[in-house]
Amino acid sequence: MKAVGARLPRYDGVAHVTGRTVFVEDWDVPGVGWVKALRSPHPHAGIEKLDPAPAEKIKGVRAVVTAADVPLNVYGHLSALGIPGDEPLLADTEVRYQGQPVAVVAADDEEIAQAAVDAIEVEWEVREPLLDVRKAFDPDAPQIHQWGNWYPHFEAEMDHRQIRKGDIDKAFADADLIVQGVYRPAAIEQLPIETQVCQVVPEANGRLTIYSCTQALYFSMGVVAAHLQQPLNKFKFVGGTVGGGFGGKVDTATETLCCLLALKSGKPTKWRWTREEEFLCSSTRAPWHMEIADAVTKDGWILGRRMVTLHDSGAYARFSPYGVTKHSFHHTGAYTIPNLHFDGWVVFTNRTPTSAMRGFGVTSVSFATETHMSRIAQELGMDPFEIRLKNANRIGDTSPNGVVYTDPSTVPTILAIADHLGHELPADYRTMTTEPRSGDLLPEHLVAQLGNVEAH
Amino acid sequence: MNLTVNGVAQEIESPPLTTLLDVLREELGVNSPKVGCEQGGCGACTVLVDGEPRRSCLVPVAAVDGADIATVEGLGTPEDLAPIQAAFVHHYAAQCGFCTSGLLMAAKAYIDGGGTDDREAIAEALGGHVCRCTGYVKILDAVAAAARGDEFDISVTAEGQYTTMHSGGET
Repeated sequence: MKAVGARLPRYDGVAHVTGRTVFVEDWDVPGVGWVKALRSPHPHAGIEKLDPAPAEKIKGVRAVVTAADVPLNVYGHLSALGIPGDEPLLADTEVRYQGQPVAVVAADDEEIAQAAVDAIEVEWEVREPLLDVRKAFDPDAPQIHQWGNWYPHFEAEMDHRQIRKGDIDKAFADADLIVQGVYRPAAIEQLPIETQVCQVVPEANGRLTIYSCTQALYFSMGVVAAHLQQPLNKFKFVGGTVGGGFGGKVDTATETLCCLLALKSGKPTKWRWTREEEFLCSSTRAPWHMEIADAVTKDGWILGRRMVTLHDSGAYARFSPYGVTKHSFHHTGAYTIPNLHFDGWVVFTNRTPTSAMRGFGVTSVSFATETHMSRIAQELGMDPFEIRLKNANRIGDTSPNGVVYTDPSTVPTILAIADHLGHELPADYRTMTTEPRSGDLLPEHLVAQLGNVEAH
Repeated sequence: MNLTVNGVAQEIESPPLTTLLDVLREELGVNSPKVGCEQGGCGACTVLVDGEPRRSCLVPVAAVDGADIATVEGLGTPEDLAPIQAAFVHHYAAQCGFCTSGLLMAAKAYIDGGGTDDREAIAEALGGHVCRCTGYVKILDAVAAAARGDEFDISVTAEGQYTTMHSGGET
């Protein structure tokens, strides 16, 4: 055990402070061409006409790629798990979010590439966008996705993620009061200081070398290979230096289109998104709409929770179903609630697709559950530490998806926070442990909870 | 046009309105200044122009004709780090490393100008720099340590790994 508890230097620290870390754009690629994208100015529109010919005639333009040039245009981030793809690499008949790429250009320099993008002839049939998850289920809501307005491919072809545990109706009948809350954390841009960037070099041996800022190198390789319908050994990915990612560089943003342009032009290509593009159309953490109603006793036990979650996935699924699954498993937070009734939907809107960001799916529900715990304490006039300790996960309790906790850390964590803040607690709370409940802390409603879970 | 970059005289061939950032990176191959926003908002491209920190993405090279430019490449080497570099390593002030070059140059200007280890003064001096990894605390620790004159011995081993030894100040 040389590392645990030791103060070890960063292996890359000296390279960082001497300017010797080689980030993607620091690779010197002779003759590299610039890439720019034609992006949709509308959140929802049909593409009536798309003619790249005027762009191709501009001196210095090396290649223009549209959907017609992509061997496999639609490939989903969860395709490897057997879930069908929904998102085109380049939009062909319609666009579903503002900033969605429709065509990309490689040119001798940045100015020519932008001029070529501006020269592409495109006509839109502007359609009404769906921008509010709460309206997605209305009969007259715009229909925006080939699967409907919400994701229908959870296990057993369920159209949402649901969890049922215990007897929720009895919990609400037995409650002294019901505490409700609606929680709506907004979208967040990961904002790495290095924007999305890659460089692609067509090699003499027919392979492509890809300098990539991806956080998920082998994943990106699989995505590129799938779109290009080429075996993995055609691609040499060079990665490892990521100028900040925070989940924003898990989705494959630039590599595939740069590969197509490099192949079509026979020359190296570089695509670095502007800060504006990063804000406009890189994936974000999702905005969420969460409604919680808890059945509560006046002495601070939470008997049951009804919860509805609408996850704003934006225009396509990407990793959102995975986010909602994690979300559902964590919807009681660090606390044990014996009776649960949870429904969570991945809702499509005409907003920027949302995807990974640091614990996505869990952070949103943690915000909601912790805020709700404090709200319950406030309504009961209880100490917010005591209500948390009382309902804290203990050894032998089960998570919403039926996992039996063997070493839950809620009790020691909350006690440590109380210590740190100098928060006074009564003796029976101060001496609490994470051992299974007994005596006053094992009321009858908790006895029967184990193994009583139905999660889909 | 002419620049002196890290003590070396350079004749510049780029057009006059080319940004100093592009001249450094594309013409001279000086890669430590980074392209973060191209609108002066993030600080990753900061270099010293005649000793003053400037956003090189906003400076047309013609506007600094004849100037003395300092970048991270002109600070210490891995074997002989400058004090501010050693402090950044010791205090884990560089995480992904992308904002680090700009912060180092701004911190150097702050300390060279007589800046102390007062954390509010450091935060004011570095206020235009965005870092998404560290939460800034470690950066403040590093700059304060360097301003105090704390010494760090960052030794590179035969395997290319290095160890840090600290003397003075608080870790």
